[in-house]
Amino acid sequence: MRATVYSGRNTVQVENVPDPKILNDRDAIVKITSTAICGSDLHLYDGYVPTVKRGDIFGHEFMGEVVETGRGVSNLAVGDRVVVPFPIACGNCWQCEHEMYSLCENSNPNAGIAEKFFGHPTCGIFGYSHITGGYAGGQAEYARVPFADVGPIKIEDDLTDEQVLFLSDIFPTGYMGADFCDIKGGEVIAVFGAGPVGQFAIASAVLLGAERVIAIDQYDYRLQMALNKAGATDVIDFSEDADIVEQLKVLTGGRGPDAVIDAVGMEAAHGHGALHAVERVKQANRLESDRGHALRDAILACRPGGIVSVIGVYGGLMDKFPTGAFMNKGLTMKTGQCHVHRYLRPLYEHIRAGDIDPSFVVTHRLGLDLAPDAYETFKHKQDECMKVVLKP
Amino acid sequence: MPTLPRPIDSTLHGVTDYTVGTLLMTAFPKLAGIEGTESASQVRVAGAIHAGYSTVTDYPLGIVKLLPYKAHLAIDALGAIAVAATPFLTGQWTKGRRHWVPHVGLCLFELMSLAMTDPTGKGDFHGDIEAVRQANLEDPHRKIYNGGPAVTRTSA
Repeated sequence: MRATVYSGRNTVQVENVPDPKILNDRDAIVKITSTAICGSDLHLYDGYVPTVKRGDIFGHEFMGEVVETGRGVSNLAVGDRVVVPFPIACGNCWQCEHEMYSLCENSNPNAGIAEKFFGHPTCGIFGYSHITGGYAGGQAEYARVPFADVGPIKIEDDLTDEQVLFLSDIFPTGYMGADFCDIKGGEVIAVFGAGPVGQFAIASAVLLGAERVIAIDQYDYRLQMALNKAGATDVIDFSEDADIVEQLKVLTGGRGPDAVIDAVGMEAAHGHGALHAVERVKQANRLESDRGHALRDAILACRPGGIVSVIGVYGGLMDKFPTGAFMNKGLTMKTGQCHVHRYLRPLYEHIRAGDIDPSFVVTHRLGLDLAPDAYETFKHKQDECMKVVLKP
Repeated sequence: MPTLPRPIDSTLHGVTDYTVGTLLMTAFPKLAGIEGTESASQVRVAGAIHAGYSTVTDYPLGIVKLLPYKAHLAIDALGAIAVAATPFLTGQWTKGRRHWVPHVGLCLFELMSLAMTDPTGKGDFHGDIEAVRQANLEDPHRKIYNGGPAVTRTSA
C-alpha cells in the first residue's frame, strides 16, 4: 500500500509499504477513505519529537471502512464505516475505566521510553513516534487498529467524511479544551491559536454557552474563519500588537478572561522581544524543547481564580514558567491529550442534530500522493490553508 | 550553473546570528587556540558587533526592528570580509597561522551561510503550491469568507 512516511527533517514521501495485518484478536484492518494532517504532525515533521525514524508512517486522524476483524471484535463487521480515535485504549485498565483513555496503561508497547520522558507511560497513539508505541499511522491506504472493540465509532448516517473525520482528534480535543473551562453560561473565554484545534475550541465554547469567545492569532484568514464560522465574538491579531495580555484586559474591562485555552503548544510563534529571541535560539540548539510564549501569556492573561486549559501539545521542557503568577493568582490548570473516546458519542450526536458542521475547517482536499506538498503548504500556511484532508 | 539551495529563512538566520555571536564572544577563542592574543580580541569584538546589530534588525528575532533585513545581510558580508582582511592589514598574519586562519575560516563560514540564506526571508518552502491549488477540491477563500456560521450558539 501507499503511505506517507518520514524521510528526514521537513521531508515526507509517499512510498509503497507492506499492508498491515491482524496481529491480535482485538485488531481490525480499516481501509482508509479520508485522513488529515494535524498541527501536531508538524512537531514530528520539524524534528522536535524524539524517536521518530525514517520510514515511520505518519497520521493519527483517519476514518474508513472495516475490511477485516480479529476474532475478539464483535461490535464491528466488515463493511462498517468507522472513525478511529487517535489515542489507542484498551478499555479495561484503571485509566480507561475512569474515562482517561489517553492515559491507557496497556496500549503503549514502548512504555519504558515514555516513562523516561514523563515519569509514567501514556497511551499508544497512531503515527506519533516510538515514544507512543511506534504504531503505523493513518496517512495511508490501510491501517491496523488495535483494541478495535473499544476505539472506533460506527458512522450510520449519510454524513460526509469531512463532517465526521474530525471526531478522531481535533473536534474532541477542542471540545475537551472548552469542557475544561467549566462553562456554566456567560463566561469570557480566550483561545490562543486559531488553527484547526483552536477553531473547534472556539466552536465548542460557543456550544457550551460562553458569552464571549476571543480568538487570538497572527494570521488574518484564521481570525476571519474564527469570526465567520466558529462563532468567535472578538479577535486579537497580535501581528499588529504583540501585547496580548494587555489587549485581553482592554476587552474584558481590566479583569481578564474567565478561562484561557492554549491551543498552540510547543512551537508558539508569537513571542516578542529578547525573550523570544533567546527561546528561539535555545530551541534551535536543542537546549530546550518547548517554546512557552502561549502558555506564559495564557497564565498572565487569565483572571485571578480562573482556569488555564492546555490542549496544545508539549513534549519536553520549557524555561521560564511563570510559577509566581500561576500560584498567586490561584489559577487552575487542566491539560492532557484528549480522551477522545469520552466525547465521541456526544459530539457525534451534536453533528447529527445539526448543531455544528465540522467540515468548516477543511480548506484543502487532496490526493494522498500530494502529501509532501500538502505538508509544506500546511506548515507555511500558504494558500489560506487551515486543514488538509488527504484521500488515499 | 547549478545554484545552492537557499533554505535559511530569516528566523534560522537569526538563530545563527545569536548562536555564533555568543560563541565568538565566549568559547571560540579558547577552542581556536587564540586565547590571550590580539586575534581573540578581534574575534570577540566581531561577535559582539554581529550580535548587536542583530538585536536591531527587522526580522523575527530582532528586539527592536530598525535595520532592514537585506541591510543586515549586506553588513554580514562586509563584516565577514573585514574580519578576514584584519590580520593582513595589521600585519599580524606574519606571526603564524593561528593569527589569520580563524579569521579567514569565520569569513568563509559567514559567506557560505549568506549564500544559503534566502534574502526574502522566506527560506526553503519546497512545496509545489501550484500543484496543490490545481488539485484542491475545496476553495479555501470561499470556505473562510462565504456562508454562515458552522455552529449554533447555545444558551446554557
